[in-house]
Amino acid sequence: MHLIIRASGAGAGMLSHLLAKNPNNLYDRTEKDARVRIVFISSSEEETEAVIYVTPDPVELVKGDSQAHNDITQYINDREFVTSSLFCTYIRGALGTALNGKPKEAYVPWVKEPLQLELSFGPVASNLPDRTVEELFTALGYEVSIERGDAEYSFDLKTRSSARYIRLNGRQTLQTALQQLFVLIPALDDYKHYYISDDEVDKIRRYGAGWLEQHPQRGLILRRTLRFAGAIRQYEEAAAKELRSAAEMPASASAAEVPVPGVSNGPAEEELKEPRVRLNDLRYAAIARTVEELAAKASIVDFGSGEGKLSARLSTVPGVREIKAVEPSAASQLRALDRFAKLEGRAGTVMPEPVTGSLFYFDESLRGKDVMILCEVIEHIEEYRLDRVMDNILREYSPKTLIVTTPNKDYNAVYGMEEEQIRHNDHRFEWGREAFSAWCGRWARNYGYTAELTGIGELSEAFGYPTQMAVFKKGEHL
Amino acid sequence: MTDIKEAQRTIPFPHGGIVVLVGPSNSGKTTLLGRLAAEGVLLETEIVSSDAYRIMVGDVEFLDWKGRPREEADIIYHDYQQLSNLAFEAMNTVVSMRSRLGRLTVVDATHLQPEYRRKYIDLAAACDVPCVAWVLDIPEQTLLARDKDREQPRGRARVKSQYSQFKRSMRGLREEGFDFVYMLKEPEAVQFVRRENPLLADIGAGIDVIGDIHGCYDEMLELLGELGYAADESGLYRHPEGRTLVSVGDVMSRGPKSLDTISFWKRHCDAGIARMTDSNHGWKIARYLSGRNVTLSHGDEKFAEELGRYAQKNGIDAAAALKEELRQFLLAAPSHLVMCRDGVRRLVVTHAGIRDEYIGRQSRRIQDFCRYGDTDGTDRTGAPVRREWYTGHESGELIVWGHDPRPYPEVVNNTINIDQGAVFGGSLTAYRYPEQQFVSVKAQRDYALDPDSPLIRWERGRLSPPNLSRLVNGYSVFTDAYGELSVRGDYVKAAIDSVSHFTVPLEELVYIPPTMSPTPAVSADEAYLEHPQEAFDYFRSQGVTTMVAEKKHMGSRAVLLLFRDEQAAVSYVGRPTLGTIYTRTGRAFFDRETELQVLARLNADLVQADYFNKYNTELLLLDAEIIPWNLKARELIATQYAHVAEAAELDREQLLHKLQQAEAAGRDVSGWVQEMEAKLHNARVFREAFQQYCWDVSGLDGVRIAPFHTLAHSGQSFFDHSHVWHMEHAGLLAGISPLFMETEYRVISSQADEADVIRWWEDITEDGHEGIVIKPDRFISRNGKHMIQPAIKVRGRKYLHIIYGIDYLQPDNLKRLKQRKTGKKERHALMECALSVESVNRFIRREPLDRVHECVLAALALESDPVDPRL
Repeated sequence: MHLIIRASGAGAGMLSHLLAKNPNNLYDRTEKDARVRIVFISSSEEETEAVIYVTPDPVELVKGDSQAHNDITQYINDREFVTSSLFCTYIRGALGTALNGKPKEAYVPWVKEPLQLELSFGPVASNLPDRTVEELFTALGYEVSIERGDAEYSFDLKTRSSARYIRLNGRQTLQTALQQLFVLIPALDDYKHYYISDDEVDKIRRYGAGWLEQHPQRGLILRRTLRFAGAIRQYEEAAAKELRSAAEMPASASAAEVPVPGVSNGPAEEELKEPRVRLNDLRYAAIARTVEELAAKASIVDFGSGEGKLSARLSTVPGVREIKAVEPSAASQLRALDRFAKLEGRAGTVMPEPVTGSLFYFDESLRGKDVMILCEVIEHIEEYRLDRVMDNILREYSPKTLIVTTPNKDYNAVYGMEEEQIRHNDHRFEWGREAFSAWCGRWARNYGYTAELTGIGELSEAFGYPTQMAVFKKGEHL
Repeated sequence: MTDIKEAQRTIPFPHGGIVVLVGPSNSGKTTLLGRLAAEGVLLETEIVSSDAYRIMVGDVEFLDWKGRPREEADIIYHDYQQLSNLAFEAMNTVVSMRSRLGRLTVVDATHLQPEYRRKYIDLAAACDVPCVAWVLDIPEQTLLARDKDREQPRGRARVKSQYSQFKRSMRGLREEGFDFVYMLKEPEAVQFVRRENPLLADIGAGIDVIGDIHGCYDEMLELLGELGYAADESGLYRHPEGRTLVSVGDVMSRGPKSLDTISFWKRHCDAGIARMTDSNHGWKIARYLSGRNVTLSHGDEKFAEELGRYAQKNGIDAAAALKEELRQFLLAAPSHLVMCRDGVRRLVVTHAGIRDEYIGRQSRRIQDFCRYGDTDGTDRTGAPVRREWYTGHESGELIVWGHDPRPYPEVVNNTINIDQGAVFGGSLTAYRYPEQQFVSVKAQRDYALDPDSPLIRWERGRLSPPNLSRLVNGYSVFTDAYGELSVRGDYVKAAIDSVSHFTVPLEELVYIPPTMSPTPAVSADEAYLEHPQEAFDYFRSQGVTTMVAEKKHMGSRAVLLLFRDEQAAVSYVGRPTLGTIYTRTGRAFFDRETELQVLARLNADLVQADYFNKYNTELLLLDAEIIPWNLKARELIATQYAHVAEAAELDREQLLHKLQQAEAAGRDVSGWVQEMEAKLHNARVFREAFQQYCWDVSGLDGVRIAPFHTLAHSGQSFFDHSHVWHMEHAGLLAGISPLFMETEYRVISSQADEADVIRWWEDITEDGHEGIVIKPDRFISRNGKHMIQPAIKVRGRKYLHIIYGIDYLQPDNLKRLKQRKTGKKERHALMECALSVESVNRFIRREPLDRVHECVLAALALESDPVDPRL
């Protein structure tokens, strides 16, 4: 990880003074288990070039990183090489004078003087496309060139290297240039090495002063540097306050609108090939309505309850006394717990009980319940495994009512999908109306249930409803 | 059982239990016991006497109130009563303790009142030991005469009163519940003998325990042949080494040749070369033969039909004689047998079960338990549920039992079920001890034709989903290799999530490859982190003399479960399939299309080579490495290894260039330049290192599967085969299909071999190969009681760059890396190895899914427990 600063033209000789380094000496310090070194390649009035590079201790680097602990690749770690927030932390001390604009008295006037600078740094590990990377810097008046590493391998692996090297050219004061890098290098990088603290928000405000507020990619930069909604909100509030006191304008309410990356794409979330959000709500409503109309509905089992949305929805249905939200994923269950906690103490609401389990196991405590629900569950199971699952449900659990929903493959045409396309990567199958109806009929016959088929969502004359729903009821004669 | 006999010449002692003497003072109880002790028939410690306990508790044997004024007599009498009561209390405590240990105790007291005798009957019943009464019936005159000669005469009135009390209480004595009552009129003329415990027998030259035969006479003879028994001139089947045949009972009923079978056992038991235990069918038939009013069902009616045919053929008299013989034989069958070596109980044979405290004893309760097992519970339909009595077995003997058929011998908690349902078309099993081997013979057909037979029920329920509540909060698994091991709820939940979302179906997940530890000690050589020498040292220190070194392929671990044909899979995994190929975490190795191609190709090649017929197997289970590495790990290689290589090279190239410029500009950076040159070299070595393991494949071309363990065929796992066998078998497989490849290996049994393997390791790892794995020649090896590492990996110096980082060999890095700790990794390796062996054995024995799955889930749970991933 390194940064090369080259100043040329008028004032180039000031670079070493602004950095407060004697160009004839080598700088070699240890900063937090990393060796930080600076060497000047040239130092004339026309051109001065300083190389700043860091060699972290690869063994220390991964210590105490509990999240990475279980990952064999932790020692094969690009943190040792790429420019990241870690790099900024290591070199902050060495570049402190320049960053803060506090050189010796004699050079203070040069702090505000733009220089012709070439800033080269890398390698950069970023998931941002080249275009976005360029935009980040062209917006600040730099010319940008991007190089990539060598991606030639003895076998077919990748078309281009994921290691990039960035070279910027432009007129800028050294202080501003460095401050911009101290904000944008972490923003480029895919990973942050420390928790986002109040200091961090403060630092972004200080380093970003004078350019960040007007940056067209401001939102992106904040999301990638601060990462957490709370910190972003904090930043926004501070910014708004400043604005208010400066222009006496009313506060904007936009703070809460900032999207929170990294939280919205949980594993249970479906891909948005269909108008998913609305259909989900419609499904929950349809199931809730079906349950409401049942005579026996005191005990409910919601199989594959995920983050607990359906269970929470059913918790207010009158007559329901017990909801078991069965889910194998601990991550989903945690979110469900948060959701359920909000229901606590509300009148007429049953607290759903999260249960670890899945359709591939037998759980005595789920036997003989009034209602069992498989909402968008069966299509995630290999078709050949379904028989055993259904035997388990209808023979062993034997609920009074079983509600099953699943996508209607026929309807995919309405979404303009190809015949073989499926709505979600994890769907092991999708059935048309005929297939689902035949399947329901077979299971109803096998175990003495009646099966009633309906649909959920917007009806298409030709293709039916987007979601199919079957309500199995245990035969009265049994 | 009450059987009253007149005094006779010889009276046997029970080997354990309570003998209650009954007789007034002066009837000669103490004299008789003194004689027996002197003759060595009884031990002094086996005799407890109320007189002795009165002395022990109160210093005197008797308090005499004769001739005292009434007021005084009352007080002395009261004192005597109190002394007597406390003396009895102390004595009975000792009797109770001795009975609990199954010892013989003879109680010397008058026992004139039924309520005193009742105490011992109850006590004996509670301890499952017999209670016997010896009644000394001596004329009153003799009693009176003897009293006069006593040191402390009891007095005429008292003797007379005791005598009449004795006579009175004799009337009901026979109905009080003693197992035996002996009347002794002239004790001095009687011989007493000590009986050995009839349940105990010596293992001698070895024993062969045969499971439930149920009239499958032909299969029985076939099995005896396999065991090496042959008929002598009198038609008795003898083993050349003089081994003993033992039956767990239920030799008759249900099957075709009950009479032949039971007659066989009677003759062999009579000849002293066989033993047979009591059993539920045996007891039922015994009662039927005794003329009791019993309803014959569950195949017992077939026995009666055979008897009927016998009578028609041989006449009523012959039939009656046979019935009587068989009746006596069945009634005499012991509830269970305890086979000893050097006087120590080693093996218990029982029909349906036993509790630890019943072993070596006899009582009605024990007989019932041994016949029927623990029948306390009933299921929903009211049918009795057999409770798992064997879970409570702790006393260390190996218990062999039958009664409850299962498809393969079930070894649980030091108990072995050997009823494999021969009569239901299963097989007849023999268990050889001390060899601890199973020998079995398939039934010629299903004789019972019961559509709801235990084997059919077993098969029906075998693949039902595992019971979650038993697992989800943590549980333990008993493994043969490691004993009991426990997994925590958190980790189990993570594993359940994985199984519910990502793995191949539970039914097909039968083996999780165990993790493997590197050398417990790092290399003593400064230039190495790992070196074969430390692996040799480890195994030598654990007493291993022969090792095998196998080349470790750098690919992706895979388990291959391959079936003879699609139909063969149904009974094992519940669906027709040619097989499954999955990763070490249980996920499908290939996408579905590729998997089908690979399976089809392997199947075609194996069938072509007649593999399944040649080995008489329905399946082949392999543990293998599939190469190239990029086949499975392409994404990981691209985003991690290659990415890091590119970043390192880019960084170091740029810096080297700039430092060279600085040097040219006169800066004193030659040291930095050299350092950067070395580092750039490291980065390039790293980049080269992982490319060694990758190449392009097109379709199946270039895909190679290197099996290194042939885990199992149907009915047999190969954990007991040496690693040389496994390597040779892999070579054989490589000759069968071009998809398979052989693995290079060396056998190590000398110092020279070690040096040779080190050279080999150096050569191949310098070439870029991953390294070698060193194993003791056996799968499961022990040092004393402790299981030792089943394998140690020694990775190459170059390869370790991709594990420990580009610059790991820099001396200060290496020095710190050498502080690694392998303890947890080793522990996990042992536990996972035990679990993987256990799960395969259970799968092969066709045990229920939840029995296999508990092992697999535990192994997955252990994998969720974080261990330094570089090890």
